[in-house]
Amino acid sequence: MTCNCCSSNDTNDTKIFDSKNLFLPKETKIVKVIQSTQLERHFTLRLADGGKMKFYPGQILEVSLHGYGEIPIGLASSPTRENTFDIVIRSTGRVSTAINQLKEGDSLFIRGPLGHGFDLPVLRNNNILIVAGGIGLCPTRSLIQYIMDRRSEFKRFSLFYGSRDPSQQMFLDDLSNWRGSADVEFHETVDKGDATWKGNVGVITTLFKKANIAPDTKVIICGPPVMFKFVIKELDSVGISHKNIFVDLERRMKCGLGKCGHCQINDKYVCVDGPVFTYSDIENLEEAL
Amino acid sequence: MNVYFIKDQDFNSFVAKMMESKKVVGPVTKKSKFVFAALEAPEQLRLDYDVTILPPKKEFFPTCQSLMKFQGNHCEGCINPEEKIILGVHFYDVKAIDMTDLLFREKNEDWNYLANREAATIIASNIQNVSSRAFFASVGKEVTPKGHDAFLTKLKSGYLFETLTAKGENLVKFGKFESASDGQKQEARSVNDVPLKKCAEALKHSSKEIAGKVRKSFANESFWNEAAKDCFSCGSCNIVCPTCYCFDVQDDWNLDQASGMRTRYWDGCLTEDFACISLGAGAVENFREHRGERFRHRIMRKAAYLNEKLGGPACVGCGRCSSACTPNIADPVNVINKLMEA
Repeated sequence: MTCNCCSSNDTNDTKIFDSKNLFLPKETKIVKVIQSTQLERHFTLRLADGGKMKFYPGQILEVSLHGYGEIPIGLASSPTRENTFDIVIRSTGRVSTAINQLKEGDSLFIRGPLGHGFDLPVLRNNNILIVAGGIGLCPTRSLIQYIMDRRSEFKRFSLFYGSRDPSQQMFLDDLSNWRGSADVEFHETVDKGDATWKGNVGVITTLFKKANIAPDTKVIICGPPVMFKFVIKELDSVGISHKNIFVDLERRMKCGLGKCGHCQINDKYVCVDGPVFTYSDIENLEEAL
Repeated sequence: MNVYFIKDQDFNSFVAKMMESKKVVGPVTKKSKFVFAALEAPEQLRLDYDVTILPPKKEFFPTCQSLMKFQGNHCEGCINPEEKIILGVHFYDVKAIDMTDLLFREKNEDWNYLANREAATIIASNIQNVSSRAFFASVGKEVTPKGHDAFLTKLKSGYLFETLTAKGENLVKFGKFESASDGQKQEARSVNDVPLKKCAEALKHSSKEIAGKVRKSFANESFWNEAAKDCFSCGSCNIVCPTCYCFDVQDDWNLDQASGMRTRYWDGCLTEDFACISLGAGAVENFREHRGERFRHRIMRKAAYLNEKLGGPACVGCGRCSSACTPNIADPVNVINKLMEA
């Protein structure tokens, strides 16, 4: 199958940039920065050499700033969009805090795309549900945009988004569009509301009552580690096969190449075998969820 | 390829000639122990060593290795291999090097390692003395040592020198070699059988039996917690292991604060923060938070996880981890034999 957006076979086998030295990063320029929340900044990047990066929704980048280091970050936009791509950085440590000081026109460095993203041929022509908790919306946004841009290739599309509180909501323009869109059944919730919040309050699994999810739906889950087990329990009660559940996992990563060992789960490496896994492939792997 | 003999009195001259051609690294004494180091004189070479503190993998995968240097927004790689001969590598370390070769080559070729490896000529040697913690005779018996360029065996009156590659054959020109006789070849076979009978410790089961039982023991938390209860999470067992290859990557500024290096450092899965991520606002998620989980991960990685890829366990029985462990709990023989009986 051919992917028109990236002029490449739809096999998730894009190569990283410099085959002679896989640790050498490529320069990008920051086109736009949005302060998403108090801790998170949303960057739009383009390759400094003017090229277009081939990637698939769900793939990751090693993002770096000289003198500070590298961190693994999921791509937050779809390859169906312009010659730019998005990432979101939460200030959690030395590297992310330094990156979040950068402004438009500054350089940021990347290696990638790395790993296996969402299996688009498997998802096409099916009902889709994406369950995104917190910053789990960032990597799944690459697939959300892809589906919205190629809406006719997918059947019913539902999206659950849960945040800790209204101030933690990200991609506010997107949320606004999705709320009024006929292309996606968008359900959102916050763990704790405030005076302005009129929507659902409760953990993300409370949204299952609001949407009648069909048992043949393909489901993508991404969120904090604690969320997965509860969402899968709900999916079990709907009767969704574990072969139709796809989880996007997060781990410590230093190389993104299946070498450094930090992201290893049993004999799998999240950076090269994932970050997207079919749940049936890892449900018996201890330490996976 | 070919099998040669060199007399004792000609051996140091052979080493000296090799040293004139390129750097020669071999086992030398360091206080009461042995280390692989660049030879300054042939007489330093101690082919009668039992085991070195660190394995020879440091010659290809240094404890800290620059991956990239940067100046402002410019960056460039640091791959700059040095031609060297590594002399006197025991067969268990040859097996380990072959494993790390495969692991750094598979899927994504890491030329920061592979370039160093390709620039090295490896002369293996027979084990003249066996370390008290070694168990190489009983582990991974199905894995054949390969990847070395020549094999040296100490005989009564000299050395048998078997060349295995063109790089190995190329060394013959440095010494006064003659073709080995059938008697010398027979003597070498007998000499190489001796250390296999001298290991004080031994695994009692096959690699396949061990891999199966170890994997099934994952949920036996009480076993792993008990085995790891004295663990300091220091990572010494990782650091001395010839098949461990985990690393951390850090950036460092030079004094000018405008240029610097991205460097990888050896890391160890026994250390507390190895699988820990920051979630922001002070929260962390540690995917192997407890020492029992980390201890289990190491044994799983040595005995089970990589077996399919490597054709056998990722342990070669050198016994370095057993010697390096302060509370004396890392010995794979003790852990695995106990687990097999559990």
